[in-house]
Amino acid sequence: MRVRRVIAFACVGAAVAVTAATASAHVDRAHTTTVTFWDAYSAGGGEVKTLESVVIPGFEKTHPGIVVKDVTIPYNDLHQKLITGVAGGQLPDLVRSDIIWVPELANLGVLAPLDKAMPDFKKYASRVFPGPLATNYWRGHYYGLPLDTNTRIFNYNPAALSAIGASGPPRTFAQLVSLSAQAKAKGYDLYAESGTSCWNVCPWIWSNGGTITNSTYTKATGYLNGPKSVAAIQMLVDLYKAGEMPGIIINSNAGLGTYDGINQNKYVGTLDGPWMDAIFSAAYPKTQITGSLVPAGPGGSVSVVGGEDIVMTSASKNKSAALTFLRYMLGYGTQAQMALAGQMPVLKSSAKWLTRVHPYYATYVKQLATARPRTPTPKWTQIDQVITTDVAKAFQGSESAQQALTDAAQQIDGLLK
Amino acid sequence: MVVGSRRRTRLVLGGRLTVLSFGAVVMMLPFVYMLATSFKPNALVLEIPPQFFPHHPTTTNYTDAWTSNQFGHYFFNSLWVAVVTTVAAVLLSAMMAYALARFRFPGRTVAFGLILIGLMVPGMMMLIPQFLLAKKLLLLNSLWGLVVFYTGGNLALNTFLLRSFFQDLPHELDEAMVVDGGGPWTRFWRLVLPLSRPALAVVAIFTFLASWDEFTWALTIINDPSKYTLPIGIALFQGQHSTSWGLVFAASAIAIGPVIAIFAVFQRQFVSGIATGAVKA
Repeated sequence: MRVRRVIAFACVGAAVAVTAATASAHVDRAHTTTVTFWDAYSAGGGEVKTLESVVIPGFEKTHPGIVVKDVTIPYNDLHQKLITGVAGGQLPDLVRSDIIWVPELANLGVLAPLDKAMPDFKKYASRVFPGPLATNYWRGHYYGLPLDTNTRIFNYNPAALSAIGASGPPRTFAQLVSLSAQAKAKGYDLYAESGTSCWNVCPWIWSNGGTITNSTYTKATGYLNGPKSVAAIQMLVDLYKAGEMPGIIINSNAGLGTYDGINQNKYVGTLDGPWMDAIFSAAYPKTQITGSLVPAGPGGSVSVVGGEDIVMTSASKNKSAALTFLRYMLGYGTQAQMALAGQMPVLKSSAKWLTRVHPYYATYVKQLATARPRTPTPKWTQIDQVITTDVAKAFQGSESAQQALTDAAQQIDGLLK
Repeated sequence: MVVGSRRRTRLVLGGRLTVLSFGAVVMMLPFVYMLATSFKPNALVLEIPPQFFPHHPTTTNYTDAWTSNQFGHYFFNSLWVAVVTTVAAVLLSAMMAYALARFRFPGRTVAFGLILIGLMVPGMMMLIPQFLLAKKLLLLNSLWGLVVFYTGGNLALNTFLLRSFFQDLPHELDEAMVVDGGGPWTRFWRLVLPLSRPALAVVAIFTFLASWDEFTWALTIINDPSKYTLPIGIALFQGQHSTSWGLVFAASAIAIGPVIAIFAVFQRQFVSGIATGAVKA
């Protein structure tokens, strides 16, 4: 009897669910155009909430003929879903794509070249930071516009910095090396890094004057394994071997994570993005975090561009309406609203007002002026895996930095062909 | 001698209890940690070492998880899909198992072999072919697309388990019903199914769990957020740069409620079903 009751209860529950699910579908949308927008905004923070309760209602109010259907997809699965969508011909009108996926999607023919499809493309392109804009370029065309951006700066705990006797954060490579030794003597690691991918090590390579490939992105040999690139990696390897960098750079179980390590006064700082401040404010409110530019080498202080682009699919049947929403997403009001939710704007003009939204944005804006995008190529995911694996070998000591980067460059040459 | 024997018995018992307690603690720790984190405010970082007792416990994560992002709606979508899938998969696999266990017909062994092959092919390999099939059947972006493929995916294991259970039922009971004029359907409904409650409970729990937890297929074919299921809803709390672990674990705690309820109700049959399947007469 008890089993029967439970089954009956479950069936009733299911029936209620179906009724609820279909009840909202009876909206008359005969006279509207629906723009489908796939994104990976985080539901846990204020991103989805701002988009769905402020941005989209605001757009629909000012554009009565257009309805925007927001489809939020977990970040780790969006790329796979896009690729599957290509196979099945099930793609949205617009996608908020990670900047590193744009060349791959463009190469697959999924994206409409925006500089051809959007009559006022130049006007919008001129309003955004050039670094993030460059992430949309693939084989002679721009396939999107930047939507939000970020970069890495040296985030540190000022109390820990004082504890090691430093008067300020490391501004140069030389200061990084000397302060690392000073920190070790006091029981700290000055700089903690959580991996060996390009996101982690490219700021050091670029700041030292090195590069990953030639300027046309066709060859890595002679560039990734050039003397300046090798010297940058060697500097980090030397710090690691001297016990002045935690082992988490090659093994996440070798010590505390970067955030925990900073909170527990084990690490002074790390390179990370603008989300770090919000995380510390919420999770570790007693630990203060502040930021400075990536320590400068012979090539200057050069960090890596992160963020997302907004792209339109070539399969879109509502291109005009999609472009209208795309323009709206790049408007001053929308960019400011999303900045309040932690999304760093891409408008050049934001440099004037962004610090009023969050003071910590100031250093990021400055860093973005020289930040570089990762190599725009459809094979970037594989290339980044090669860099991650081979640079780790240099830290493990199984290969010299020169040998590891030469091996990596040879593999990347094959991927760039 | 008696005292020595008692002491040895107590020592053995104590040893067993210690080992079992240790095992139980190891099994329970992740669950306890999930519950503890679900009551922590602003758990954006999983601390090392882990804290099992929140300093300032709050139920905010539960209210936030339930009210944000149509989570309640996803819950009922999952419930509908899991219940319909369970009913369909158990019924169909029971009929298949009955045919394979009780009837002799050409190709029976081959058919059973094909079903077993279905158990051996990794699900991920089937993703693209299934997607293309679902497109042709107009099942993309539909909860029925989940039900149909979840049901198909569960048939092989269910049939395998039920067939061996049905084979062990005494043939004399069938013969008695045949003498009384019972046909194959009558024997299936009136004899086999009532006698197989433990096995049916086992496959029902397995099917419910599999369809309740499934993530990849649901994410692949569902494009309309109003049709998302719970696993996708929980995954949405994991951000690109940071994850609200309090929300993730509160959502997970909500999600395991029905699973615990189903297990509690079917527990007696489940355990006896497992034990019955373990020994073949």
